[in-house]
Amino acid sequence: MSAKAVLYEDRIVAAFTAAAIVWTLVGMAAGVYVAAELVWPELGFEQPWLSFGRLRTVHTHSVIFGFGVSALIGTAFYSVQRTSHVPLFAPRLAWFVFYAWQATCVLGALSLLAGVTASKEYAELEWPFDLAIAVAWISFGVVFFGTLARRKVGPIYISNWFYGALIIVVAMLHVVNSLALPATLTKSYSLYAGAQDAIVQWWYGHNAVGFLLTGGFLGMLYYFLPKQAEQPIWSYRLSIVAFWAFVYTYIWAGPHHLHYNAIPEWVQSLGVVMSLILLAPSWATMINGVMTVSGAWRKLRVDPALKFVVLSLAFYGLATFEGPMMSIRSVNMMSHFTEWTVGHVHSGALGWNALITFGTFYYLVPRLAGRPLWSIRLANTHFWLALAGVMLYVIAMWGAGVSQGLLWLTLDDLGEVRYGFVDVMAAMAPYYALRLVAGGLFLGGAALMAVNLWRTMGGFETVPAAPPTKTLAAEAGA
Amino acid sequence: MTKTSVQQPLSPILIARVLRSPGEVFAAFAEQPPSAARVFFGFALWLVILPPLFAYIGTATFGWRLGVAPIELPGPVIAAISLAYFLLLLFGLFSTAAIARWMAKTYGARESFGASLALVAVVGVPLALGSAAHLYPHAFLNVIVLVPALIASMYLLYRGLPIVLGTEPGRGMLMASSLIAYLLVAWVSLLGLTVVLWSRGIGPRIGA
Repeated sequence: MSAKAVLYEDRIVAAFTAAAIVWTLVGMAAGVYVAAELVWPELGFEQPWLSFGRLRTVHTHSVIFGFGVSALIGTAFYSVQRTSHVPLFAPRLAWFVFYAWQATCVLGALSLLAGVTASKEYAELEWPFDLAIAVAWISFGVVFFGTLARRKVGPIYISNWFYGALIIVVAMLHVVNSLALPATLTKSYSLYAGAQDAIVQWWYGHNAVGFLLTGGFLGMLYYFLPKQAEQPIWSYRLSIVAFWAFVYTYIWAGPHHLHYNAIPEWVQSLGVVMSLILLAPSWATMINGVMTVSGAWRKLRVDPALKFVVLSLAFYGLATFEGPMMSIRSVNMMSHFTEWTVGHVHSGALGWNALITFGTFYYLVPRLAGRPLWSIRLANTHFWLALAGVMLYVIAMWGAGVSQGLLWLTLDDLGEVRYGFVDVMAAMAPYYALRLVAGGLFLGGAALMAVNLWRTMGGFETVPAAPPTKTLAAEAGA
Repeated sequence: MTKTSVQQPLSPILIARVLRSPGEVFAAFAEQPPSAARVFFGFALWLVILPPLFAYIGTATFGWRLGVAPIELPGPVIAAISLAYFLLLLFGLFSTAAIARWMAKTYGARESFGASLALVAVVGVPLALGSAAHLYPHAFLNVIVLVPALIASMYLLYRGLPIVLGTEPGRGMLMASSLIAYLLVAWVSLLGLTVVLWSRGIGPRIGA
């Protein structure tokens, strides 16, 4: 053996995976707590930091940036090395990304609890954090693209295109949306005013959903699904076409968050049209995924990881169908501001993002540890808890949302709104209780996963893995 | 196991057998796939009639209850909504059976429209019975009753599909999941379509 063998940098992957699992538990526990507050408002104990308004932002911050992004960076680092046949570029910078990102997420969550907020949805953190995020994110980009640049495989595999788009577009969205004039250390004012601010915010907000929660996780899907299924992607060509259609279309869809608002009607209409077109690339990817699994149906019975991925594809299909439909103005008229939207977001966030990540972790962690999963039975139990949780959640929110929409739009003989806010809120209480149960089931499943993966891994030591000595000339994945 | 020579009798009485021993019902359909007409007129039609019937009686008697004062609708409107509900359920039944048969063809499983229709009808039994909750159209009561019914139906689908369509369980799981994905999308489309029609003034005016 040579003095210094070239090995993949996998400890950083283990670190990001562990961080993602901790954030899953923290973020979902915060979600369950705010769900409980909607049933028992006294749970706020009259403490500002325990109030719904602050804890809800801690929930979204923890699950999107803590859980989602940690999972994405970890899996991006794992897959870019293996699709490039080289270890990570600038491993120390990669560790800087890890510590900087985790510190920003922890301190950011604390600042939200303290009531420091920029009041922009999914971009609540104030300007010092925005700067820290920009530095960490660009460092992530340097490590990722640096690794790609040194690759020993000719073509750039499709998962890297999606991860690359994630890095570039989120950097652009974050910088543009966060431009602000700082007044004090904890208060800044957006550079945009009024309707422009709203348009920029939802250009950011919707594309955070698009390029982070959809595009980034599609990168994860395109690497780990064929690996798990032990099959090449059904149609590599379709994946490329879907990528470009996706990138081009998604960026325009944001204004559908602002229907019937003080923004030009043509901007709203453009948002609707692009949202509807978006169905095509979304479903192309879903079909590609389903057809890839179809060749591996024998593994479905024995492999809990693959089951999560199959289910996540079903919810991906549902959410990407429901979204365009809800962007149609006459549907949005009833669905907007109701729990239907909350249900839609969670069919995507729980059904797609969380499930595909869980499936990926059940595949990844045993390989990092070099030993089989501690308990397949526990993983199967997790699967059923997750399925029950997400179904119950979505159904409760459909019931709540449609009732809410109908009641809000009900007029009396004089043409006035017939039911007041309090009447409608009181009518929602049973659905909120059901949602609390659903969230508890999902969180319970995630806790089982945490135990299972910790017992599998037992620390942060990973088995050594080296790039292949002979690089194949054949196209990766084709 | 049931005998092979005698066809499974198809009548509403089959509901009791589905609840008692679904495995036997599925096996009997697998051994002798019934004709689509027999399934429809002997069994499926009676299931599909139940939800709109319950909904009509419940709405006419109690009005819709969304957690506030009941919303009363005029008789002809209730009848029209119930009829639309019936037609949509028919569409759901036949389209799901058609997709099941198409998948069976694609995956080299048993390709019989009658068997597919029988499968979908049997799977719908818990939901059709659960629709008794429509007799009191309180939205949350219906959610509470229909969610367990839905779980029971999903169980029947995953259990019955590989038996009735004669395929391996692993592949059956994939086909059953695809059917669920179709039904979810169909349900969401229905939700969207209803809202579009309603917000364009087609449908009941409530409140005023």
